[in-house]
Amino acid sequence: MIAAIGLLAILLSAAASVLLIGRAWRQATAPQPDPGRIRGPVQLLLGGAVIAFLALETAILSDNFSLGYVSSNSSTTTPLIFKLAGAWAALEGSIVLWGLVLAVVVYLVARSVRGADRLGLTALSVLGVISLFWFALMATAANPFEVCTKLVGGVCGDTSWLPFVHTVAPVDGVGANPLLQNSILMAIHPPMLYVGYVTFTAPFAFAIAALIRGEQGSVWLERTRRWSVVAWAFLGFGMLLGAWWSYEVLGWGGYWGWDPVENAALLPFLAATAFIHSAVVQRKRGMLQSWNLILVITTFSLTILGTFLTRSGTIISVHSFTQSEVGPILLGFLLVTVLASLALFAMRSHLLGSAPRLDSIASREGVFLLNNLILTVFALAVLMGTIYPIVLEALGRARVSVSAPYYNRILLPTAFLLLMAMGVGPVTPYRLARAGVVWRRIATPIVVGLVAGAVAVTVGVRSIPVVVVVVLGIFVIATIVGEFRRQLSKVEGRRLDRVLRLLRRDSGYWGGQITHTGIALIAIAIAASSGMAARGQVQLVTGESAVVDGYCLVYETSTTRTEPNRQVIGAVLSLRDESCGNEIAILQPVFNSYVRGAVGTPAVHTGLFDDVFVALGGVPGDQVALNVMVFPLMWLLWTGGLIAVAGGMWAIYARKPQRRRVEATVDV
Amino acid sequence: MIRRYWKFLVPAVLILGVIVVLLINLSSNLVYFRTPTELHQDVTASNQRLRLGGQVVAGTVTRDGATLFLTVTDGRESLDVVHTGVVPQLFDEGQGVIVEGTWDGSIFHSDMMLIRHDEQYRTEDNQIYDDVKHELAQP
Repeated sequence: MIAAIGLLAILLSAAASVLLIGRAWRQATAPQPDPGRIRGPVQLLLGGAVIAFLALETAILSDNFSLGYVSSNSSTTTPLIFKLAGAWAALEGSIVLWGLVLAVVVYLVARSVRGADRLGLTALSVLGVISLFWFALMATAANPFEVCTKLVGGVCGDTSWLPFVHTVAPVDGVGANPLLQNSILMAIHPPMLYVGYVTFTAPFAFAIAALIRGEQGSVWLERTRRWSVVAWAFLGFGMLLGAWWSYEVLGWGGYWGWDPVENAALLPFLAATAFIHSAVVQRKRGMLQSWNLILVITTFSLTILGTFLTRSGTIISVHSFTQSEVGPILLGFLLVTVLASLALFAMRSHLLGSAPRLDSIASREGVFLLNNLILTVFALAVLMGTIYPIVLEALGRARVSVSAPYYNRILLPTAFLLLMAMGVGPVTPYRLARAGVVWRRIATPIVVGLVAGAVAVTVGVRSIPVVVVVVLGIFVIATIVGEFRRQLSKVEGRRLDRVLRLLRRDSGYWGGQITHTGIALIAIAIAASSGMAARGQVQLVTGESAVVDGYCLVYETSTTRTEPNRQVIGAVLSLRDESCGNEIAILQPVFNSYVRGAVGTPAVHTGLFDDVFVALGGVPGDQVALNVMVFPLMWLLWTGGLIAVAGGMWAIYARKPQRRRVEATVDV
Repeated sequence: MIRRYWKFLVPAVLILGVIVVLLINLSSNLVYFRTPTELHQDVTASNQRLRLGGQVVAGTVTRDGATLFLTVTDGRESLDVVHTGVVPQLFDEGQGVIVEGTWDGSIFHSDMMLIRHDEQYRTEDNQIYDDVKHELAQP
């Protein structure tokens, strides 16, 4: 029953998408457009998506194991929270959530369309095409409502998409993926990335609509500014959570491994970052019109590539790609998107207005161009490193992987240049910047940065890249503080009131500067934690102690406890100071055994200067093998990440109310 | 006219240049994936970093301080590995592993170990994923 409801809801949304494409297109080309005509399909689309999602949740919560998806992603002993998250933990369910987010995006875009808004109506038609693809995918290759028709050894052996056939249900499901059950982060991190991926559909749809209509100017940019920043912020937050999960839960001793799955999220993030910057140049100075269209198309294509990479199994092996039904479909969608968008661009770009020429490379625009150049080259490098092994294997040449030094060698100069641009750019005037003006604003920050570098050297930092990043990072923050104080002196009022008024007056600029502050802190934290980490492997018998990088660890005992969904085996360790005297903390790294497999969880003690990270290297008993790592300044990485995301949020939501009203009239 | 050519030529040359530099960097950082059978066929020692994939043979794992000794197999041939470095939390006998390091012709010296989850490491009929079969089938 629930399978039939779910499948019908998906089909309803697919049909509504078709209706939306036609009606929005007809209204966009009608002599007197009536946006009221699109309300029906949009509501149906959203309604179908909500019902499909709720049907899947109901099936999981009610232990309806006659659904193949439920029996392979949940069980009677799965805790409630992981049952809820099970609705998007595997491929089919994640596409249902994807469809829901997309339907919300369509609904919100439709709400902003009033009167003779031909651009908005055309964009809705484009959105209809995209949502038709996803709901059709949901109804066919990635159908979560397939019912179980045959049992093989107590588990579902064969499924059918027809909801009314004779169904059988296993007594119990196999439970949630152990990685999911092991940490709630695994339930939050992917949806954050989906929201980031999906919200970028809106800028893409408006860009395509502007191209179709041959519209000049920056209307499409103005209207999608919020969407772009929201997409950027969610992608960034999603990656931050992913890094944290990787560090706190996965226990391999790091937070970023240049894994293709990670690159899949980084690529659209880099392109979106470049776009947000170059969009400013177009809005303020009317330049870079073509380039912005290219960047939007690139970013959207990279979100599809990311979905393809993570969801088709291509990364594990090209051979699993051919086994998955979704892989070829997503690849096809990616190719069609890229080719159709570029063909449209080639046909229409001559209609774009001639932009004012760059007055001087020594200007804010010039630094923005530099930023775009660096980000694009870096994204290209990451893209090549990510897909080269896949292409090579697909050609049957060899199985290879790209090692981290490839990326790190490019990351280092990229980070240096970006930090420099980040320090100089925001205080450089538009059009033509005289050296004296810029110098006055960066002279003191340069001194502050150098002092910070000297302090780093005196406290014992010997790695040159780390020192350089500290100098540049502190320089960036000092420039921002200096500029803030300079502008604050021009604002009147009481102290806190003045600060808020300044931050709100140009929330886009100051939101950006808050983000830059976060990025500078992240850069310092990444440099410190990767350039100055200490790693050791120790083996201890009960009562024995070992010293690693200034910390003493004593193995006290092993513990075992049984929970409904798992068995936990752990080691109890006492973390002490170097002389093995005062106890700092008790650390308990563990193994968790689930029905579907085991997952380890490291123990991390976070301190002001460094983190002590302990992961098991074997099942603890009379003796225990441990991987002990000491990472400096890890808290700065997470704090910097949150500040960066907060900056994005500030840029969107801290606008003055009256300005919002002006924008609403522009929409009409 | 010449001006118009320059407008496209300069960026094109720059982009090509960047791609060439990236490719050179890429090719010097590629790590080839090998199976025990493949390494047995090529017993020349090399400093080139390789990845070796296989299943840990039960009863072969011993430890000496921070060094781990193990034997991995692809179902046809097996190979001795000496591993120094981080041992993943889930390392166990019978588990699929990938080790990265160098091959001296008789022993594989690894300093990085990855665990492959079983469902990812096996084919659908529960065979160990085996590149050898695939490559033999090709010519």
